[in-house]
Amino acid sequence: MKIQKANAGILTNFEVLDFLQTRGAKVDPMGCLGAVAASECKVYEYLLKTPACNQTRESIYEFVKRSEGFKLAEADKLNVINWRPSSAADAYAMIEECGKRFSKDDQGEACDEDERVQEFLDMVKEVLPPPPPKAEAEAEAVQE
Amino acid sequence: MFALSQIEHDLPMPPHLLSRPLPDAIKAELERLFLDKVIANLGLCVSVYDIRSIEGGSIHPGQGCSTYKVSFRLLMFKPFNGEVLVGRIIGYDDKGLQVSLDFFSDISIPGHLMQFGTVRGPDGRWMLKTEDGDELYLDLDDEIRFLVSSTKYPRIPIDQKEDDPPFAPMQIVGSIKGDGLGLLAWWAADEEEGEEAAEQEQ
Repeated sequence: MKIQKANAGILTNFEVLDFLQTRGAKVDPMGCLGAVAASECKVYEYLLKTPACNQTRESIYEFVKRSEGFKLAEADKLNVINWRPSSAADAYAMIEECGKRFSKDDQGEACDEDERVQEFLDMVKEVLPPPPPKAEAEAEAVQE
Repeated sequence: MFALSQIEHDLPMPPHLLSRPLPDAIKAELERLFLDKVIANLGLCVSVYDIRSIEGGSIHPGQGCSTYKVSFRLLMFKPFNGEVLVGRIIGYDDKGLQVSLDFFSDISIPGHLMQFGTVRGPDGRWMLKTEDGDELYLDLDDEIRFLVSSTKYPRIPIDQKEDDPPFAPMQIVGSIKGDGLGLLAWWAADEEEGEEAAEQEQ
């Protein structure tokens, strides 16, 4: 075995989900038999629980285009796409040196950090689709 | 969380696969060899992504099969340092927490990488004492968000003692020290409070 390239590109959760879907992964454990291995099926099930489950290629392109003004590193963008932060605390966890990075606006001029974070979160909210309501929440809604 | 790795391998093709078309047979053989296995420093192999080239097919003296030089890409689970992941707590001990991602469970969060003020409760569970005096427990099956601090690929031990934990070829060390990290419920609650406050204002 010879490793030609240890890292030939990083994939977002959405791309992995899409890939497994085209290979025939399903939630039904019996449906997976034959098409994909059990380990692939488990990864598929895990990814279905993440915000990647209803993203589309277009929404991710749109996000990458609109995030240019925020001067994020690739790793930060990946975190944001994979987990879709919904509050400022989420954003601080996912973006390295969030405070420093958000204290400047598009033109590099100083601005209010909290407002800038909120602006970013609004953009994320607009571009990336919201996660579907959880099964428990749905059950409660039915009961009501 | 996932990355591609390009690998070249001299693959002996067992004769019982000769009846299948070559690319299918090679893919099946690659899956048998690599799927669900850890390659040191590359990560856990999830899937065979694609086959780039198939060359050769020569039969070496004394062998009953043809050997192909195959170049292919594997889909690896390989989180980078600083990546955010969400998992489920599956255990705790005096060293820290064990977390599972359902398909990968060798993740540990040691005590020194938790929020300042996290101690073990009287019943052995870890808990975070807040400034207000609240005790926030980190319970089994809770969803937890953590930062990947490092990934270790230990060597296969030469002798395994009876009471040693089962050997794990890939171990991820996580950290929950920082804003937005820790149980999802901690941070989701803040948001709801915020929403309630907003509703009251209206």
